[in-house]
Amino acid sequence: MAALMLSRVVKSGFEFLQTSFRTTSLAQRCTTGNVEQVRGYYVNWRMLRDVKRRQMAFEYANDRLRMNAIRKNTILPKELQEIADKEIAAFPRDSCPVRIRNRCVMTSRPRGVKRRWRLSRIVFRHLADHNQMSGIQRAMW
Amino acid sequence: MYRRIILLATRNRSGISPIAEHSINITNQQETKRTSVSTCPNRQRMHYNKGVCAPNNRPFSTSTALSKENEESSAPKTGVTEAKVKEEEPRKSGKENLLDLLSAMKVGVTTKKKFQALKSQKSKEQPRVHPESMESATSMFQKATTEQQAQKESLSPELVAAASAVASSMPFKKSQTESELLQQLRKHESDTEVHKKGETNNIGNIIADMKVGKHPNARSPNRPANQIRFDDDGRGYTHDRGVVNEFDAVRRRKSLFTGKRLNIFPSTTDTTETEPKEVSVPSLWDIELAGQIAAVIKHLPRNGFEEMIQWTKDGKLWQYPINNEAGLEEESDVPFHEHVFLDSHLEDFPKQGPVRHFMELVINGLSKNPYLTVKQKMEHIEWFREYFQQKEEVLKESEAY
Repeated sequence: MAALMLSRVVKSGFEFLQTSFRTTSLAQRCTTGNVEQVRGYYVNWRMLRDVKRRQMAFEYANDRLRMNAIRKNTILPKELQEIADKEIAAFPRDSCPVRIRNRCVMTSRPRGVKRRWRLSRIVFRHLADHNQMSGIQRAMW
Repeated sequence: MYRRIILLATRNRSGISPIAEHSINITNQQETKRTSVSTCPNRQRMHYNKGVCAPNNRPFSTSTALSKENEESSAPKTGVTEAKVKEEEPRKSGKENLLDLLSAMKVGVTTKKKFQALKSQKSKEQPRVHPESMESATSMFQKATTEQQAQKESLSPELVAAASAVASSMPFKKSQTESELLQQLRKHESDTEVHKKGETNNIGNIIADMKVGKHPNARSPNRPANQIRFDDDGRGYTHDRGVVNEFDAVRRRKSLFTGKRLNIFPSTTDTTETEPKEVSVPSLWDIELAGQIAAVIKHLPRNGFEEMIQWTKDGKLWQYPINNEAGLEEESDVPFHEHVFLDSHLEDFPKQGPVRHFMELVINGLSKNPYLTVKQKMEHIEWFREYFQQKEEVLKESEAY
């Protein structure tokens, strides 16, 4: 019983930790039920900021879509559209999808990332040479 | 083979030009692949000459009839006919609205009936008959017809009423069009049911109207080999024809469960072993206990397969075979007219003016969107309602409300 309560407290504490730092949740339970903290990190703070931007863009996606539908219009009166312009500018800056950068998932490299694999060219080449990529073969023709 | 009915919706509200040409195709996607005679609607409208036959084989079409249809369909385009103008739509349920809309629409039919009738007759005259499978084929067709009759009641009465309303508004052959519309609806429903349940046993419903395909007999090259022929080595035995011919019938069956029943074993009747237990809402203690047991039993994955199983249970990995509608099981229960006919939600908006025009465009776009659930569409519309109510003053200043 005590172990259960303890594990629950620890679990809730860990959740709080998660929400504040937004780490990946890899906490695993061993046989006794105690939470073993397996920490997950994002590669760097830039990656973390990119993650935050993506989450925020998801939250505000619908609102932005509707506001833009009102703005990009030839039917509604222009006064309304001006007001809509101001409102959309008042949204938080991280909510616009333009700020998202497709970084490499392994190394957080912002450039040279192939979209299909979400990997930078260096990591891709490393994995492919070690036969870790299914269906990828060195080109020769 | 199947009809393509193009419904041109013209809703004339005074002051605003007809907004959208709303084209609803009630054909299935399967059928569009099979239409050997596909008529492009644009091409249709160009054939005004009475004597000209299209390069598409149309031996039985009456070009006068076609030209009449063309004139009919082109007239509402110019917005001349205002005979069927509805000024006000009184508050009705969605399905009554559907009826109204359908009765107000102009319908242009674009296929050849006689050619189709001929084709269907021909297909029914040539069933491929194998002596062994004769019983199963006929029994399958019998089942199909009975099931089709039983399925008539599965269509909701409003849909049937709507179909009869559409048929009555059409210029010729009302009973035939009505029956074909009902057939389309039934097919649509049966397909969605099959898709939902994932059953492929009751394909009798679907194949009831399909063309009977010719079964290429792959064994025919073996028949001349039936005759005795001497081996070149002089050993005196023929080719292995006996084995081939014995198992020919068995091999021809595509599945294990076709064929005559032998009635050797008594069929087991599964009695209800598990009586429905009274399942009360599990308390927190029960949940905790279950979690504890699971935690004790669960071991760390020993290999990649177990890891993938664990991930699938967690939801991190998709379920294979890939189901495109993985999270959307409830959505398939929603009937199609709730997605398409969203006009009834526009009641709180002003009936004229740019706001109404804007909202009708929004609804037009939403009705064509197959990726959103009905809930999401409603949320969009509600958001706009609140927004315009907040901005009433601004709109009144610019005389737009």
